[in-house]
Amino acid sequence: MSLLAQYALTGVVTGCFLILATIGFSLTRQVEGFLNIAHAEMLGVSAFITWGLNAVAGWPFIPAAAAAVVATALIGLGIGRLVYDPMRRLGPAVLLITSVGVAYVIAGVMHAIIGTGIRSLDVPLATTYKAFGLRITDYQMAVVALAALTGISLALFMNRTRTGLAIRAMSANPELAASRGIDVRQTSRATWLLSSGLAGLAGVMLALIATLSTDIAFNQILQILAVAILAGLGSLYSVIVAGLIVGIAMDVSVYFIPAGYRPLIAFLVVILALLVRPEGLSGKARS
Amino acid sequence: MQIFLTIVMFGSLFSVLTLSLNLQYARGGMINFGVVAYFAAGAYAYAIVTQQPPKGLDQYLFGLGAPWWAGFIAAGLAAMAFAFLTGRPTLRLRGEYLALTTFAFAEMLHSLLVNERRIGNGTVGLANVERPDPAGIGLSEGYAYAGAAFLLMLVTALAFRRLLASPYGRAIDAIRDDETAAEAIGKDIPRLRFQVFVISAIPIGFAGALYAMITTLVSPDLFTAEVTFFVWIALVLGGERTLHGAVAGTMALVGFQELIRAIPFESIRAAEIAAAAEDVLTGLLFILILRWQPFEVLAKRKQTA
Amino acid sequence: MTRDLLVMDRVIKRFGGLKAVGGDAGLSFAVPEGTFLGLIGPNGAGKSTTFNLISGVLKPDSGAVVLDGVDLSRARAPQIAALGLGRTFQTPRAFSSLSVLDNVIVGADNSGETIGSAVFGRWRADERALRDKAAAVLARVGLADRVADCVGNLSGGELRMLEVARQLVRDPKILLLDEPTAGVDPSLQAKLSRILVDLHAEGRTLIVVEHNLHFLLQIADSVVVLQNGQLLSKGTPSEIKADEKVITAYLGTEHAA
Repeated sequence: MSLLAQYALTGVVTGCFLILATIGFSLTRQVEGFLNIAHAEMLGVSAFITWGLNAVAGWPFIPAAAAAVVATALIGLGIGRLVYDPMRRLGPAVLLITSVGVAYVIAGVMHAIIGTGIRSLDVPLATTYKAFGLRITDYQMAVVALAALTGISLALFMNRTRTGLAIRAMSANPELAASRGIDVRQTSRATWLLSSGLAGLAGVMLALIATLSTDIAFNQILQILAVAILAGLGSLYSVIVAGLIVGIAMDVSVYFIPAGYRPLIAFLVVILALLVRPEGLSGKARS
Repeated sequence: MQIFLTIVMFGSLFSVLTLSLNLQYARGGMINFGVVAYFAAGAYAYAIVTQQPPKGLDQYLFGLGAPWWAGFIAAGLAAMAFAFLTGRPTLRLRGEYLALTTFAFAEMLHSLLVNERRIGNGTVGLANVERPDPAGIGLSEGYAYAGAAFLLMLVTALAFRRLLASPYGRAIDAIRDDETAAEAIGKDIPRLRFQVFVISAIPIGFAGALYAMITTLVSPDLFTAEVTFFVWIALVLGGERTLHGAVAGTMALVGFQELIRAIPFESIRAAEIAAAAEDVLTGLLFILILRWQPFEVLAKRKQTA
Repeated sequence: MTRDLLVMDRVIKRFGGLKAVGGDAGLSFAVPEGTFLGLIGPNGAGKSTTFNLISGVLKPDSGAVVLDGVDLSRARAPQIAALGLGRTFQTPRAFSSLSVLDNVIVGADNSGETIGSAVFGRWRADERALRDKAAAVLARVGLADRVADCVGNLSGGELRMLEVARQLVRDPKILLLDEPTAGVDPSLQAKLSRILVDLHAEGRTLIVVEHNLHFLLQIADSVVVLQNGQLLSKGTPSEIKADEKVITAYLGTEHAA
């Protein structure tokens, strides 16, 4: 029984990571209106900038991670303005397909620079803590804390700041927002910065808890998609619930069936959910 | 000469996938991001039907030892069955939801092939897949399989053209143009969509069987989401409006990749960089074509002229 | 007495808590076979919503729509169309990748529209008859010389006529036209008026939503007036013209405008 509880706890950590990884993706979906497949590659970009600064250039972890998040946010903004902005009129399907091309380019550049093989950060080994027969490492706790912190600050940002309110207005109804005097271009830029920065943060976490290799990103997009579909492709708050559901379902499943099926579980949850509620957890019908 | 043959062989083979996707997307308005699953279903069905029963270290359960043509037919049926299974629950979903669920189904199949060793030996796959020996008709293997792939492509294109030129194709076009108006004249959209989805999976299954014959190996590694992306890029490259565009796009993409692979490299690192550069160039090409849509512009110019 | 072809029975439709159609008691009226019914009312009275409820684009929250004895509550739009209901839309809809002729043929109930027929080429036998029928209908709505054109070259008025043609080729039991004169020039309006009168004379059942009352009250034989989603009045055109309630609620504002 305690093993099952252990899997559930690990599932919470996985869920928290998935929340971090998916919020940016959902934000892009809401404001820019399309599914950005290349979002997962941004996690990889951030993870490897952290690795480069930390393990290769010898920076301490924290400044390296901070620099990686900022750099990823800027790269995301650059790609948004350069590639997606001029194409917005072509509609979400074309943008979705385009983002596959963007993912190819980013993955290719990373392969060329870094090459294949497994890397590791220059950080102390994780310390394991025990309580009530459950084990958790300090890095895992950091992921949970960071997810909670990000969730709270994001909620505050969205509700209290002008930019946050503009983003919310844009995602609810872009035409109405524009007619009410919201600067669409500026809000769109803020969104790119924010969503890519969140991807950067998730990437840093990934570098910390996972095995670092250049195909790391692609494996993430599957789970990000699962969480995003489950959450209903729109609502930020349902991402939190969906992330936890997918994370816990995946890790707890290992208790019952071979670990190889872990990724399959994510999609099983999603397909079941879609069959019951075609619009996702948030249940917001699209017109 | 060898490289030319390879381009024709794989170009034709993947053109079958692009043609089917063209039917689903450009005509049926369905974004299928799980193309590889139907391809894998065909390849595995062929291998399982034709291989000998398991012995020694084999972990797979079934090997029917049937002749190649039985395997070929089974491949088409398997892809069709998988389309039936995945299409039923997902086709009522719109646009991007459909893209995501088809993608999810493909990943699930992949995961099943990796983990369920009783299907096809898990990650090891099934090697030495049976195939007909073309020496019987006096052809070398390269020519015979390039010819077979070309023939399959031709038959697929002709069959699709026949379908689209009929009243059935007209109804499909009407649905894509305006769903509400199509419903007002009694077109049952979910039914028609489902039919197009299932029908277009059949040639993909056949292509899977042929692919298994050519490589004589099926393993989960060969059937990743990259195949799906590859076909999408080829479709966009060739312009989504026409059947010959789909073929031209695939041929160009396969040719491009084969040429890069043909360059001899001094070191592993150089080869690695070349492979990466291939990805970058493919991605860039893809973005540029989507950005400026040269084929759409051409098509429009033709229409108004 | 002729039988009722269409019956609206206490129909209520809400949008986000607001009653768009039906009020408290629900909207009820019957359309006997062969009627040319004009459906009028000020903006927001629920005319288009009523059309969408009849044709299955929307589903009523309560009450029933009955077409030729069949309850439509569970039927989807294509099934209702197959039962013999034809409709046009407020903004004309055309299939942009099909020619004008194909835009009409596609409306016909075509047994050749199957995969089997496509594979074996059986459809060719019927296609000629369908083409002739579609061409005849196009000639009737005045688009004879545009048969081979692509729909992008048609004017707004011609698109409306094309939509009428696409429905006529199906021989619907009842035809619903949503603002057929909007954006149509006067000469074409006169032609449309003649077509509608002819269709009525042939015994077809028509329901027409129209802002142009001058146009409608001349040719309809029965009128239903809606206000705030509820039945305000019902009668012949001359009764409606004389009805105080209608004049104050609707005609008055129309005349003032």
